[in-house]
Amino acid sequence: MTSTSLMRIIIFILPIFSWYITSTIASNLNIVNLNGLKAQFQTAIKSFSDVASLHYTLGGVKELGVQLPDSHCNDIKKLVDKSNVESIYHATEAAKTLVNCKLPAEDYRSTLTSVLQSDESKTADIYYAVCSSVNLGLNIDESNIEKRLNTLAKTDDSILSQAYGLLTGAQLSQPIAKYYADTINDLVQQADEIDGRILQYEGGIGTTAFIVNSFYEVAEKAGVSIKTDPKQLIKFATYFSSKRHVATLRSAYYLTKVFKHLCDNKNPVPIVVSRISPSAISPQNPSVLVSITNLLGQPVGEMSVVAESAKRKEDGVVVISKQKLISKASDFSVYELPFYDTKIPRGFYTIHLTLTARNEGKLIGLTDNIIDVKVTSEGTIENAELIVADRDHGAQSKTYKLTYPNAQSDKLELDYHQKLTVKFQIKDKQSDEFMPVQQAFLRFTNKQSKKEIIYLAEATDNGNSQYKVEVDLTTNANDFRYQSDKYELVLILGDSLLQNAYEWILNNNVHLTFHEDSLPDKDYKNLYLPRQEIIHQFREDEKRPPNIVAFVFSTLALLPLLILLILWLKLGFNLSGLPLGLSPLGFHISHGAAFALMFFYWKYLDMFQTIRYLALISIPLFLFGHRVLSTLAARREKKA
Amino acid sequence: MSQLGQVVGILRKLNDEYQMSTPKKLKLIDAYLVYVLLTGIIQFVYCLLVGTFPFNSFLSGFISTVGSFILAASLRIQLNKANQSTFNVSPERAFADFVFAHVILHLVVMNFIG
Repeated sequence: MTSTSLMRIIIFILPIFSWYITSTIASNLNIVNLNGLKAQFQTAIKSFSDVASLHYTLGGVKELGVQLPDSHCNDIKKLVDKSNVESIYHATEAAKTLVNCKLPAEDYRSTLTSVLQSDESKTADIYYAVCSSVNLGLNIDESNIEKRLNTLAKTDDSILSQAYGLLTGAQLSQPIAKYYADTINDLVQQADEIDGRILQYEGGIGTTAFIVNSFYEVAEKAGVSIKTDPKQLIKFATYFSSKRHVATLRSAYYLTKVFKHLCDNKNPVPIVVSRISPSAISPQNPSVLVSITNLLGQPVGEMSVVAESAKRKEDGVVVISKQKLISKASDFSVYELPFYDTKIPRGFYTIHLTLTARNEGKLIGLTDNIIDVKVTSEGTIENAELIVADRDHGAQSKTYKLTYPNAQSDKLELDYHQKLTVKFQIKDKQSDEFMPVQQAFLRFTNKQSKKEIIYLAEATDNGNSQYKVEVDLTTNANDFRYQSDKYELVLILGDSLLQNAYEWILNNNVHLTFHEDSLPDKDYKNLYLPRQEIIHQFREDEKRPPNIVAFVFSTLALLPLLILLILWLKLGFNLSGLPLGLSPLGFHISHGAAFALMFFYWKYLDMFQTIRYLALISIPLFLFGHRVLSTLAARREKKA
Repeated sequence: MSQLGQVVGILRKLNDEYQMSTPKKLKLIDAYLVYVLLTGIIQFVYCLLVGTFPFNSFLSGFISTVGSFILAASLRIQLNKANQSTFNVSPERAFADFVFAHVILHLVVMNFIG
């Protein structure tokens, strides 16, 4: 495959691929937690620490439709810092929200002029100065400011600076505002996309809300609409609506402003589609109720809502196709889809909805809405048996047939050479098939200590899902800690697609007897307490026999020496042939010295020293020995 | 009964033969061998009674008796005139070997006795 044809294929496939990616991701919009925002502002009203909080709280509360009394005007005048342009900005904005709060413009004129003229000022400072001047009714030189903004745009191209530029443009004349409104799309392209679902700017929720708010403000002043791809707006909206709580007042204020813009009919309005009925469909709850509102939970007018398909998650079986939902509320915010039907099998279903607006409106997010429901069914326990068998002779067994919800009436006695087996099946009432369940347990509860021992029931893999659980009283005895006691036997069944769960007491009086002595329960609390201190034990000396025994045996070992001397004397041992002279003497002395060295080696010396001394002694030993022996040999020769 | 009598008779004959034909030198060495054997047996019995601690001491003592026994036995063989044909070594040479080997044996035993 040549590279050009490969390129062509990629160019064709990639857009289709990305379209599929973006179009099949459903909008995860949630309705805004307005109460949370309100509460946040209301706590802040109680005490103000700085003029910025005043601005955000008063502004936020005003956006939510509550008018605050003019007494806050004094708070503003107290907290404002006349030499700081940002402080002045917050003060004037806060004053704007009140009915009658006039700030002394002359006090701030000098700071504002100096900021506007200084070359050090950043885009934010320019914005604060311009906005404050407009709020206070002071004159500003628009062309000069426009020039300043253009210079700043060349040096500082961060997103925040550009946003401040937009906001400043919104305070100036309409042509300037229009110029900035045209840059909105570029700014949107600079946002970060996460997971293909969310668009955000670096700096978190507050900064993103601030920037998006600036788009709306400048567009409003320019008299144009926000010309961005609706999908991008939805991604922003997803990001905003995903936060249930925000940390700062600034974030809360700008979020409130953004939500109001997103619900304003002049702008594109994202639609929130959510299920308000319970997720389980059953004969008692046969329909799916869907609410269609904007982000603030307000109705959006008449719609035609169609369920394109309802597919089962497991195998993709389609049970509903192109069915129209019925409007249930007078403000067209709730729609109903009858779902329950005996022919629909149990399972998890995904419903795709498509909305069409009746009136011409700027609603977005109308396609690709997904509702998840599950169809549950009633189950029955069938063919339940309790089998008591002997461990070794498996053939000898007693089977008790059980029916839910009856328990066994008489007590059950089991001891260590028996095993207990429980078998059962669960049937789906609707489809008349045996079904597997997610939870199937057999529980023994010790009636005295209330300790629970739970075993898992496992099913065969073939279609009829026969469950079996086996408890052997010898192999499983340690689970019970060998405590022979009265137990209660309960079967627990549950499944997310089963309407009813089961906790069936099979027998209330089971006597278990184990072979070994019972062990106490493991005290799990003790695991985290300090353990017993281990005191180091030095190695104990080996036991030795008493001194008397050793002494006796030592003398006993020397006894044979006596016997030897006696024997030798009897045999006629004599020293008559002993040669006398230097050599014999030397020989005997060096020989004795060698053995004396052995003694010293044992007591005092080490091997190296001994070897050296031995080498020293062996020279005379050898010499004298040789001489003595040759003398003896000569004597012998002479005799013979 | 007669078997026992036979055994006793054989032993007595052996003893007489031994007393008569063995030279004095060899008898002296035999006495020495008996002495070494007795010492070894006593050491072994002690070990059986009180256990093997300290094992190295027991081993060195026991090996010393065993080694001495072997060296003395080989000396006896070499000094026996009946074996003159097999060995061509003078009695003095045998004795020198005996002393030399004993020095080494005692060195090793002393090292191991601990």
